Amino acid sequence: MNSASRSNRLVGIILFGLAAFFIFPFYWLTVGITKNVSQLFQKSLLPGVPSHLVDNVRNVFSYQNGVFLSWMGNSLLYATVGAFVGVLIASLAGFAFRRYDFYGKKLVFILILAFAMVPGFATTLPLFMLFRDLNLLDTRFAVLLPSMVNIFGVFMMIAYWNQVSEEVFDAAEIDGAHAWTIYWKIGLPNILPGAITLFLLAFVGAWNNFFLPLVVLNSRSRMPLILGITTMTDPQGFPIYNLTLTASFFTILPLLAVFISLQRYFKPQMYVR
Amino acid sequence: MSLINKKKIKSSLKAYLFLAPFLVAFGSMIVYPIGLGIKLSMYGQRGARMWYVGFENYTRIFNDPLFWESFKVPLFLLLVQVPVMLALGVMIAFMFETRKRSGAFYRLLYYLPYTIPGIVAGLVWSYIFSDSMSPLGPLFSLFGYTGKILTRGSVPSILLVIILWQFTGYTAFILYSSLIAIPREYAEAAQIDGAANWQIALRVKLPLLRDPLITLFIFNAIGAMQVFNEPRMLGDLVVLPPYYTPTMYIYSSAFSQGRFTYAAAMGIILAVLTCIISLYMLRTASKQILDRQH
Repeated sequence: MNSASRSNRLVGIILFGLAAFFIFPFYWLTVGITKNVSQLFQKSLLPGVPSHLVDNVRNVFSYQNGVFLSWMGNSLLYATVGAFVGVLIASLAGFAFRRYDFYGKKLVFILILAFAMVPGFATTLPLFMLFRDLNLLDTRFAVLLPSMVNIFGVFMMIAYWNQVSEEVFDAAEIDGAHAWTIYWKIGLPNILPGAITLFLLAFVGAWNNFFLPLVVLNSRSRMPLILGITTMTDPQGFPIYNLTLTASFFTILPLLAVFISLQRYFKPQMYVR
Repeated sequence: MSLINKKKIKSSLKAYLFLAPFLVAFGSMIVYPIGLGIKLSMYGQRGARMWYVGFENYTRIFNDPLFWESFKVPLFLLLVQVPVMLALGVMIAFMFETRKRSGAFYRLLYYLPYTIPGIVAGLVWSYIFSDSMSPLGPLFSLFGYTGKILTRGSVPSILLVIILWQFTGYTAFILYSSLIAIPREYAEAAQIDGAANWQIALRVKLPLLRDPLITLFIFNAIGAMQVFNEPRMLGDLVVLPPYYTPTMYIYSSAFSQGRFTYAAAMGIILAVLTCIISLYMLRTASKQILDRQH
């Protein structure tokens, strides 16, 4: 055996070993949801016998009169509306930067850039105060409104719009098309793939956002999944491991489904975690 | 001249109409809260009563040993997790490069943890390491350890495992994308000069990964400073102090202790630190985006 094929085999072994590490929590979670608490405490790596999968699923959905379904609906609402409006607004802003030479262009750009890296932890506490004064605390707006600002989306949109050639716009303008028509009918179809990518990234970001709802929400009926599953206890306040695991499984299932089926749109982007 | 001005005024008007929705949202959800946060940070507070104190909160924070202690975990992550992950990422990226076609499955698999929210990752891993449910006992007893796995002392190492699990595949994928964008002529030229494959990787390709590595480093440094979700979930199974990380300290100050203005000041300090760390990246990013305009 020559050294090239030996190193090739070594690479294969390492890649396989690492794959085991990356897949392990998914495996353990999937196996875990087939067990009740006493089976979980047996610490086995195999599925529970007899399987409690059906019980677990039924108990998750009937937990506290079906609050789990509200969490799913809320997550879907927050992620879809937040991401959609955020990307739409960003595409409008990106269009302005692409098409027009306007007063204060550099200033506005630098202002947006300067605030791009401000962490959510710094804005969320004052937002809590703001929403309290506006009587918006513990409403769905308190989660939706902040997630509609997609600064990263504006930068990406400027880049996407820059790829649309000048002739496309000029031809439309000569035909007398209105600025709005140019954006909507001629521009938007050109940037659609980019917009879908941004929507998916924003969707996942909003679906996974824990800190904002934690701060601004109180009522369990308005919580998204990611927050709701951390509040699951029995009436005495003790954790119910099997239900929390099952609920976690259903929290990440849509993410995995979206990601795997729409892979080609998830071009790797530098994105703050 | 006046014609040009008129034209620019007209296009400015149109531009701001398109910008308006974003500027309104941006102003009310980002700029105003930051301003409010700065203002709050200058106030003393007892219950609902507030009064102006200037920079007193900031001087108290700098003399608060708990605030400094909360940076232990981020510092540990910055010094251990980030270098380990970048090194692993580079290694995996080079391995991916040897299997451009057949490696697609591995690339997807390694990337998957990145789509999992930190809360769920923290939850599942905390169960995996917990005393009552851990399947890892036999693995640890193999090394002669039979005690508890999840203790307050082991939390940093467990955080290390969780964060490596979440972001190593993503890191490798970003670096792999940069690797395959390197023109083939570079490697061919080195090959003609008699360089071995590992030499090409180390001397030719690794230096070309400088920019993505810097960006990844910055993102990870910011992430390390803001770590919240994972230790919060571990905190359900092992007692952690409320000042375990800076963001946990901010949260507990504001919502458990009701020291809102104090927490606001800590938030501002964290924001300033984040901006300083990301300055380099912002400069290059703005250059790239603005240059492409002309």
